[in-house]
Amino acid sequence: MGETTITKTQFAKQTISGLSSIITTAIVLLVDALLGYFTYRLITLGYIPLAVVFILIIAIISFAFLVPKAHMFRWMAVGLAAWLLFSIFPILYTIYNAFTNYGDGHLITQTQAIAQIEAQTYLPETGKAYQWVAYRSPENTYLLWLKDAEGNTSIVRMVDAQAEDYTLEVVPGQNGIGELDEEGAPKTIEDYTRLNRISAATDKNLTNIKFGDPEKTIQIRSPSEAAELLPLFVYDPEANTFTNQQTGVVYSDIEGTYTAKNGEKLIPGYSAVVGTKNFVQFISAPGLRGPLATIVVWNFIFAFMSLFLTFSVGLLISIIYGDPKFKGKKLLRSLLLIPYTIPSLITILIWRGMLNPDLGVVNRVLESVFGLSPDWFNVPWLARSAILIVNTWLGYPYWMLVTSGALQSIPSDIYEAAEVDGATGWQRFWNITLPLLLVSVGPLMIASFIFNFNNFNLIYAFINGGPPIPTATTQAGYTDIIISYVYNLAFASGRGVQYGYASAISLVLFVLIAVMSLAQFRFTNMWEEVGENV
Amino acid sequence: MKKSVMLVAIFLIASMVLGACATATEAPATEAPVVTEAPTEAPTEVPTEASAGTLRIWADEQRAPVLTELGAQFKAEYNVDVVVENISGIRDQFTVAAPAGEGPDIIVIAHDQMPALVASGLAAEIDLGAKQADFLESSIKAFTYAGKLYGMPYAQENLGFFYNTELVPTPPTTWQEVYDISKQLIADGKVEYGIVLGGTSYDAYPWMTSQGGYIFGVDANGDYNPADIGVGGEGMIRFGEMALQWVKDGVLSNNTDNTTAKSMFKDGNVAFFMNGPWEIKNLREAGTPFAITKFPDGGTPFLGVQGFVVNAFSENILLAQSFLTEFVATEDAMLKFYEADPRGPAYKPALEKVDDADLIAIAAAGEGALPMPAIPEMGAVWSDWGNALTFIFNEEKTPEQAYTDAANNIRIAIASKGMVNVPGSFQSLVGCASDWMPYCAQTALVKGDDGKYTGTFLIPAGDYECKVALDGGWAVSYGDGDANYKFTVAADGNVTFIFDPETTTLEIIVP
Repeated sequence: MGETTITKTQFAKQTISGLSSIITTAIVLLVDALLGYFTYRLITLGYIPLAVVFILIIAIISFAFLVPKAHMFRWMAVGLAAWLLFSIFPILYTIYNAFTNYGDGHLITQTQAIAQIEAQTYLPETGKAYQWVAYRSPENTYLLWLKDAEGNTSIVRMVDAQAEDYTLEVVPGQNGIGELDEEGAPKTIEDYTRLNRISAATDKNLTNIKFGDPEKTIQIRSPSEAAELLPLFVYDPEANTFTNQQTGVVYSDIEGTYTAKNGEKLIPGYSAVVGTKNFVQFISAPGLRGPLATIVVWNFIFAFMSLFLTFSVGLLISIIYGDPKFKGKKLLRSLLLIPYTIPSLITILIWRGMLNPDLGVVNRVLESVFGLSPDWFNVPWLARSAILIVNTWLGYPYWMLVTSGALQSIPSDIYEAAEVDGATGWQRFWNITLPLLLVSVGPLMIASFIFNFNNFNLIYAFINGGPPIPTATTQAGYTDIIISYVYNLAFASGRGVQYGYASAISLVLFVLIAVMSLAQFRFTNMWEEVGENV
Repeated sequence: MKKSVMLVAIFLIASMVLGACATATEAPATEAPVVTEAPTEAPTEVPTEASAGTLRIWADEQRAPVLTELGAQFKAEYNVDVVVENISGIRDQFTVAAPAGEGPDIIVIAHDQMPALVASGLAAEIDLGAKQADFLESSIKAFTYAGKLYGMPYAQENLGFFYNTELVPTPPTTWQEVYDISKQLIADGKVEYGIVLGGTSYDAYPWMTSQGGYIFGVDANGDYNPADIGVGGEGMIRFGEMALQWVKDGVLSNNTDNTTAKSMFKDGNVAFFMNGPWEIKNLREAGTPFAITKFPDGGTPFLGVQGFVVNAFSENILLAQSFLTEFVATEDAMLKFYEADPRGPAYKPALEKVDDADLIAIAAAGEGALPMPAIPEMGAVWSDWGNALTFIFNEEKTPEQAYTDAANNIRIAIASKGMVNVPGSFQSLVGCASDWMPYCAQTALVKGDDGKYTGTFLIPAGDYECKVALDGGWAVSYGDGDANYKFTVAADGNVTFIFDPETTTLEIIVP
């Protein structure tokens, strides 16, 4: 396009595009700056991996919006950024955690743990503890009045104060010392302000200052006590060991805990990489050998039966209501959808109440009519049945909705042809309706199967895995599925938090489910072929 | 036109993404904390002066308003802002927030959550000074870990023995009386059952202790000893047999669901049950005629203690301690906590002012009780201990079998701290589930007076290998140099293992 041929409109267009590219650049830079600030904050807080993700996000956004050739990525940039942040990062972080002992006792970093152990002090046998009052000068130098158990008082300077005497005698009139209060502490000292308890407490320097004789320094230990404290452990950065100053015992670093040879441990420990220990522990856990087989078998039965029952009931209802002769089906169909609209947790708890062996309406009715009182929560097969009943109730409306839609899409001429060929109703259902239906709802069935395979809410809220399996050595119940069992193993019953162990288990579960899904997708391919052949 | 729309859209989405990140970084725990009442107005005489500091407290919804009120006073007097945040699941959020430097200065928790915090380096030592004497000794003990105090208690609670005063005019003092009264009431058609349990572990514990049952033994210092597990002991089994018999006799309901139990007592379907002070309000509202007495045959419940713990990563540890000892440890403040949520105060001057007869009765029922074990090993106890009673009631196991199995499972789960074991190729021959099990209780060595660990096992003739493993795991283990210890047993006999922790060597004496 030559300069001479520029028309007014073209000029206007160029200006607009020039303007909008300036606006784009400005906005992108603004977003980058904001993200950069977050990255900086993250680094200062020590979240290095998260900061790396943010740097990647900045790179993606800048690349997509500022490099003209990359404009086709613009539509994906935000999605990619969110995907990195909310999907990829948590997955990588979980994988990383699975190889650490992050959890109770190992929550903090090595630097934090070393600082805490170094801060531990002890009172030597000859050491004394005192009552104290602090005085502060405008230049932030301090004096400390002390009173020992025998009632002797003294005033000490800071260790690094450039003074000849580190101790002052408590005599009113000398060294600017004013009147004494009933405890014997000066009410005033010239050039110094007496700190009351709270102003002493808000002074962040005070606990870190060493007072008195450099040979045996005095430190404030609490609002009521100062003492001649010595550090209990000395850290050797070369060997990565701690030495106890009282006993001489050496503690070396074993998987994030400083441990002596006799097994004595220093607290706190820190979050350390422990290799495949979590996986080994999971695979060799005594609980895994016994109940896991029972649990896995039930997990498959549960997922399969849930799918089968919800699908069958849903399909049955949609076939019945698909009959054009049926009256009032709209109202009935709406009523049947109600279980789907109530939050499942509430439904589960209502069922739990209804099936209560002592107070529940189900047993009251069964008892008065048949004289039966099944113990739904304590007999294994009854508990499993109850779970399936509740899950069917929760799940059939979904399949009713899905199948009633899918049934409409089956061409009616096939049925007509079948009728001409003399097929019975059953034959039509088995040979036409079901195969064609499976083609369209097959993927949904897989989704439903996987959902039920991991249906933690139902198992946990309804019965928490119970009744317990008598032969199990860990907490395992007859209705436990893998996910609820693993939850109990890693977190529940006051066992504390074991993030590393739980991450390892979730990785194992992830692999299990991935393999299962793959196998099932193979299976659906087969269905599609069936569909094509029809 | 289209372009500008796109730009606006991108900007909006970007800011949403940013917004999401912002909350994620500020509260790395799970949810952004809900600030109930930040003391926005500062009723000081010197409003222009900047505040001298900020104290952040995480409390539950019943403690938060009281603390907010105290915070306003604190601000007025010392010009320090107190921000009280109402958080649910304090412990879990704290374990994530505190190491990141985002935690509050003070949290409110139950005493049994404290040891894990100490072990993780998240709780700071507390010095209550002279005020320590004003607290109930048992509550101070509950917040003491390895000889050091890590919390300031405010409330102490335990179960009491509830009875329906309309059905039972005079409270029973022995289980035999409970049984006889129940039998009579059932025969008269007044109740369905005599007594019902609200659970299988904590809620049944006073009955267990009355029969001599216990969870962990207590050493000379009064500390729990995780090596002495009482779950499989005689007292516990005696309780199991008794409970089973009572169920068979129709006196005890085989229900162990808490909600069901409450409802049965509330409706007068049972005459007795064991529950805590939290149930008093419900029963009063329902109009059930009830009173509370001590447990029959001297049974004692577990004590639960609630208190304040200071964050070890706080920059205001002294300030936090001062706030607690000078503003919270006062009769007024403690009574306010009590009014907000009637649990027995742990602060003696406030406790003396409590005049609620039922609460006093509950406190009496808790006399001589021990705090719920605040040792990490307790986590391994609950499920097995509780399941045992379920197996007994379902008649899947005999009481002896049920409690013995439970005790064995607990031993395995604890994989005791301090356990010295000799895992090796002989273990399955002496009663272990398999060979090379570092946590098998059967082959654990016992510490002698000389500081050495010894154990003697009957091993059949053969060649064997073993190692020494500490704490029931392989993290710390010793071999003969880099190799395993090898030994040969010529004829079946007792093999003695002696481990010297000083030299970390194992001596094996074969017959």
